[in-house]
Amino acid sequence: MIAPAVAPPSQSGIKDRLDVLQETVSASRLNCWQQCRLKFWFRYVLRLVKPSAPALYVGSIVHSVLQSWNLGRWRYRSVNLEALKQTFHENWKEEQVEAVINWQGEEEAERTTGWALLETYFRDTPITLDEKPEAVEVSVEADLSEHGLPKLIGVIDLVRAGGRIVDFKTASQTPTVKKAQHLHEAQTSCYAIMYRESTGRKETGIELHHLVKLKKPKIVVTPLEPMTDNQQTRLFKGIESYVAGLDREDFVPSPGLHCQSCEFWNECRRWS
Amino acid sequence: MTKTHLKSFHQPQQPKRKEITMAIVFEANYSKKLGLPGFSSHQYSVTVRSEVTDIKQVPAESNRIYKLLQDAVDKEIQHVGFLPKNSNGNSSDKPAPNGGDNGNGHDDTWDCSDKQKELILRIVSENNLDKQEIETLALERFGQGVKKLNRLEASGLIEELLEKYAEKPNRAQRRYPARRFQPGSAK
Ligand code: SF4
Repeated sequence: MIAPAVAPPSQSGIKDRLDVLQETVSASRLNCWQQCRLKFWFRYVLRLVKPSAPALYVGSIVHSVLQSWNLGRWRYRSVNLEALKQTFHENWKEEQVEAVINWQGEEEAERTTGWALLETYFRDTPITLDEKPEAVEVSVEADLSEHGLPKLIGVIDLVRAGGRIVDFKTASQTPTVKKAQHLHEAQTSCYAIMYRESTGRKETGIELHHLVKLKKPKIVVTPLEPMTDNQQTRLFKGIESYVAGLDREDFVPSPGLHCQSCEFWNECRRWS
Repeated sequence: MTKTHLKSFHQPQQPKRKEITMAIVFEANYSKKLGLPGFSSHQYSVTVRSEVTDIKQVPAESNRIYKLLQDAVDKEIQHVGFLPKNSNGNSSDKPAPNGGDNGNGHDDTWDCSDKQKELILRIVSENNLDKQEIETLALERFGQGVKKLNRLEASGLIEELLEKYAEKPNRAQRRYPARRFQPGSAK
């Protein structure tokens, strides 16, 4: 089907992999599937490992520092800005030991951007230092077998006191409410379903906290209403399509604007 | 010379006012929750109301009542009553010091999933952890004992146990490299 950069798994290996991918589904897998099925094939079936884009690396380190900050409040420990800065620099170094990043000479600039984003967030966040989270970075799941669907699995960044689900995102453009809601609907709906199943309660809302990489960084908090029945139906139909697509091994490319950031461009061009 | 005398000396013209003594009702509550073996816990609280006539008496009265209530609660809470069988199947339901079920509702059902329950018990047994300590951790973090944790809370507790006792990489290390740098192995 394609010419992957590393030795492809055997036919039976692919079959096993497809079985595993149908047993459970996560927001990130679904998101990738909905964006481009060929990209899904490279990433989740063949599991091709590619050098990471700098933006992705910055995002992951920013996330890890936000997590330390949230965990500090969850454990009733005060975490000051200096300590967070230290965590940022430590994580920046440590994570690179195992990762290959295509810096193109921009590492220092990216590092400066990363910390500037965090500084801005800690200055402008709507979350107060004494607000104890309900949960931080927790693995959750939801059994959807009664709907004939695989188990939904995932990790929620943060649940604020009172049941507000938060997802942190780094972005290079300022998001609008409508766009953010539309682009992240599958993900936010997945979180809502898993939250409800895990707690027996409905979330009180969902917040997307965008840390926007501008010359002067800013944060944009997009509050969303709890998941509606209609959104749940849309999600379930999306998962149905995911399962059916994997069943018939439907991995065709979906070219579009997202190709600009696709790490499988070369493999994609060789696909036929 | 008392204050009253001074007042009458400087203000002889004013009619004498009738002194009204206001009673200040002072209510105090003392509550204690303790973890018990086998991830049980029990709680007891005592509330009293007392009257003082002067606001200045409140600190002393508070001090007296606090000691009184603490003594009372500590004395009673030692009687743990019925205890469920522990997770290893060993019976821990030997006669309780006060001789029976105190009606605190101990039972062996867990609110989290079976998988989470098994994992918590496995982490505890593999690392020789003190269940009491884990119970206390759950009480600190979630305000309730291990068995009462919902799935979201249990997941938080498991993460905490893995980090604290099982020498596993922390959450960020477990999550981010896998998710972001090795997409093929991601969730
Ligand atoms: S380049 Fe575009 S079409 Fe090709 S795999 Fe990547 S996202 Fe899909």
